[in-house]
Amino acid sequence: MSGFLLTAAETETPVAAAGATDMLLVTLLVALPLAGFALTALLGRRLYTKAWVIAVPVMIVTWLIGLYVIAQALGGAYGEEGLHFTLYRWIPAGDFTVDAGFLVDGLTAALLIVVTTVGMLVHVYSIGYMAHEPGRWRFFAYLNLFMFSMLLLVLADNFLVLFAAWELVGLCSYLLIGYWYKRRSAALAAKKAFIVNRVGDVGFGLGIMAIWTTVGTLNFHEVFEALPEAGLEPWMITGIALLLFAGAVGKSAQFPLHVWLPDAMEGPTPVSALIHAATMVNAGVYLVARTSPIFAQSPFAMLVVASIGIFTAILAASIAMTQTDIKRVLAYSTLSQLGYMFAALGVGAYFAAIFHLMTHGFFKGLLFLGSGSVIHAVHEEQDMNRMGGLWRKIPITHITMLIGSIAISGIPFFAGFFSKDEILGESFKLGFGWVWFIGVVVAVMTAFYMFRLMGKTFYGPSHVDPHVADKIHESPPTMTIPLILLAIPSMFLGVAIGWPPEGGLIHQWLGPVFHEAEELLGHELEPYAIFGIDGFLLGASVAVAIVGMVMAWRYFGFRVPLLGAEVQPRARRVEVLTERFRGWYDASFHKWWFDDLNHLLFVRIGGAVAAALWWFDVNIVDGAVNGVARLTQGTGREIRQIQTGRVQNYALGIAIGLLVVAVSYLVVTPR
Amino acid sequence: MSLPETVPFLGWAWDDLLFLFFAGALLGTGLMVVIGRNIIRSGLWMICCFGALAGLYVLLGAPLIAAAQVLIYIGAISVLVLFAVMLTQSKSGPVGLVFHHQAWAGALAALGIGILVAVVVAGTAWPLAETARTPSPTEELALLLFRDYVLPLEVVSVLLLAAVIGGVFLAKREREPEETIVPAEPARERMPAPAPAVGTRELTP
Amino acid sequence: MSGSLQSYLILSALLFAIGTFGFLARRNAIAMLMSIELMLNAVNLSIVAFGAFIPALRGDAAIIALMVMAVAAAEATVGLAIVIAIYRNSRTPLVDEYDRMRQ
Repeated sequence: MSGFLLTAAETETPVAAAGATDMLLVTLLVALPLAGFALTALLGRRLYTKAWVIAVPVMIVTWLIGLYVIAQALGGAYGEEGLHFTLYRWIPAGDFTVDAGFLVDGLTAALLIVVTTVGMLVHVYSIGYMAHEPGRWRFFAYLNLFMFSMLLLVLADNFLVLFAAWELVGLCSYLLIGYWYKRRSAALAAKKAFIVNRVGDVGFGLGIMAIWTTVGTLNFHEVFEALPEAGLEPWMITGIALLLFAGAVGKSAQFPLHVWLPDAMEGPTPVSALIHAATMVNAGVYLVARTSPIFAQSPFAMLVVASIGIFTAILAASIAMTQTDIKRVLAYSTLSQLGYMFAALGVGAYFAAIFHLMTHGFFKGLLFLGSGSVIHAVHEEQDMNRMGGLWRKIPITHITMLIGSIAISGIPFFAGFFSKDEILGESFKLGFGWVWFIGVVVAVMTAFYMFRLMGKTFYGPSHVDPHVADKIHESPPTMTIPLILLAIPSMFLGVAIGWPPEGGLIHQWLGPVFHEAEELLGHELEPYAIFGIDGFLLGASVAVAIVGMVMAWRYFGFRVPLLGAEVQPRARRVEVLTERFRGWYDASFHKWWFDDLNHLLFVRIGGAVAAALWWFDVNIVDGAVNGVARLTQGTGREIRQIQTGRVQNYALGIAIGLLVVAVSYLVVTPR
Repeated sequence: MSLPETVPFLGWAWDDLLFLFFAGALLGTGLMVVIGRNIIRSGLWMICCFGALAGLYVLLGAPLIAAAQVLIYIGAISVLVLFAVMLTQSKSGPVGLVFHHQAWAGALAALGIGILVAVVVAGTAWPLAETARTPSPTEELALLLFRDYVLPLEVVSVLLLAAVIGGVFLAKREREPEETIVPAEPARERMPAPAPAVGTRELTP
Repeated sequence: MSGSLQSYLILSALLFAIGTFGFLARRNAIAMLMSIELMLNAVNLSIVAFGAFIPALRGDAAIIALMVMAVAAAEATVGLAIVIAIYRNSRTPLVDEYDRMRQ
């Protein structure tokens, strides 16, 4: 059965261990969520409250299969090239052929770990979170569709399948952001996400076309092999790389296309955790990492990636410091962390980027799910100004979120510490001192805004609505268990795969994938020296993280008398601070007016241009079309007068016609 | 008693005189039919017109046709027409406006057709035509009709039967007004669907 | 004059023209039917004339003339019945007021 469908692609290295079973399982990895989507979409309405009974078990099975595939891939069973096979020929059009093929190598496996695990946990969490939501079958159907799309995205072995999956995840994102479509803001946010993504996707699409026209194939391996030998001008490579990067910028919400992600928080919180923190937004990072051999050939493109990444990191971090909506803080935090990843990709620290992608996927998923639990507890309140003092009432949520916050802040021996430190350290050692410097500043900000969030939510005085305060209770097990399960990798994943530095498991896994790009870049890293430069960098980043954390603690956390004299009440101190940095505060609070800038550029000016075009369209183009219609109509109206419905008028017509025909015949015929 | 060889004083053949008489009567009465103000008088003029035509048939040596003309047209159709006239007369009597507003155009067209045919007829040589008229004896016609043309004869008899039934059906007065208002939908359901090419179905509201 | 085919045919054409004019110009439906009868008779006259002057057509022309008469009778029957039926609905014999098909 499986052998009928699946044929091993012709690869130079024979794949001995990877039999038909593995191919079948990889196919199932994609097929199961799709089947789950179809079943839930068809039957979901009849399942009423039990809408999850198809979607969640399907996802758990997918996760188990995923674990097996990951173990096989990372255990070296698929060889260095990875498991590569073709399901069927998707587009056979003369010279242009595209196969629906899958590729499972180290990079794919690393992504699979995050996607399947967080995906499965979010599915479980949603059982509890969406328990009181009418029409939740729609939610679970979309969620399964998203899992299908995301898995297809990471498993694709060529650009076109990747692009299709890319658009599919965008569609799911749209559907899920607009899940509460009756709420105007949600519908608008969904549209915004979709449209902003389109801007990037145009670039991505053009990049794929450029690859096709220059190289003549879309398969990853073939492209990477053929591109250096295609004899392209450097500017063409740079162009292709930047076009692909445009797609990544849109999907991963980097400056200047970052505006959609904070608004995407209108969707249900599990969606924010899964799509807008742990998986889909990483697709851009994945794309740049996957096409690293292309980027590595263009120093300028690399520089652009690094600049955009680090700029987004500091921009988003600065905004996150003043936001009051708990989910928006996390959204800007996500932007900032994604910026880190792009900065790492730009400087050539591929391992660090993917490492951070994985750790971030877990702890940011944890933080979002935790925020969902908080929001749930305080009765759908998202404003942190109306929270506070919750740590006693929802202890599990509190502890797990604290772990997530420590992890993201880069406190030693939690997951984020290793990955972030690797990014910063490699940036410095590869000669990008400015990236390192900005990155360190961002690290301070990160620690600050995360502990501001923790303080305002869990510690500090309570501002919870008195009517709600008595009813606050911990979330059901379906929600807390995923939190606990996510807290574990948030603590230990870093040490598990990132230790020893620059020689850990992650380097072994991804080594073959990034080998080509590393060779092209010609990077020579000095060996890791804990008592040399690396130790200094490490100490610096830990120090700044602690500084940021303590600052936030002083303003928003517990009162710890040792840390400062209690001169004035805390709220007053925050006000003073705000007043002192009024301009900065306003800029940050208003998100540096990007939405207003976009409004001016695209709504006002673009709108004026569109209005002019519209005028042209209505009056000239439509005018011509309508003119023809009006002419026809008018002619018809006039001619209709002839159709009197009176027999004798017609008979007269016949008589005259007869005369005309006969006379013309007589005149024309020669005698 | 015998007539002179030619018409006295004029020197014409008697046939020519009869032809002129009948032709004049035919056209005169025909005109009176179409321009007469009173519809009943038009009908009466039509009978005269048919009579003149019967005379011409006799002149052409076709006495059977002439007899049929008298029987069918004068005896049957004219009476039918006169009955119809009487059945359809408004109580207010004859209508003031006899002609359509397009009458002048109709006149031109009719004149044009008449002149056209006349010119064509006059301009054609008619090589097969003879100057002597050959009378068609009745026995010969009877043999033709009931031997060579027996099938068309039967078809015509069926046509006449159908016409009689149709006429009765059309002119019959409906008994109850309810029956006239047949609901459209059930009727359409009962009947087989019309061919798509018919197109009248789309026009019906 | 009476011995030439043309004179009968021209006579027939003139009668036909008169019938045409009546059909095109009269408002009364029955007058229109009478005009049709005139036109049919004009055609019949030409057929009989052909039969009389062309020996080859002698018998056939007469038969066709008889057939035309029969058809004319049928036509008159049905036509008049239709006129009566319409008259019953619209209470007028004037054709230009029959405009229900137009709406």
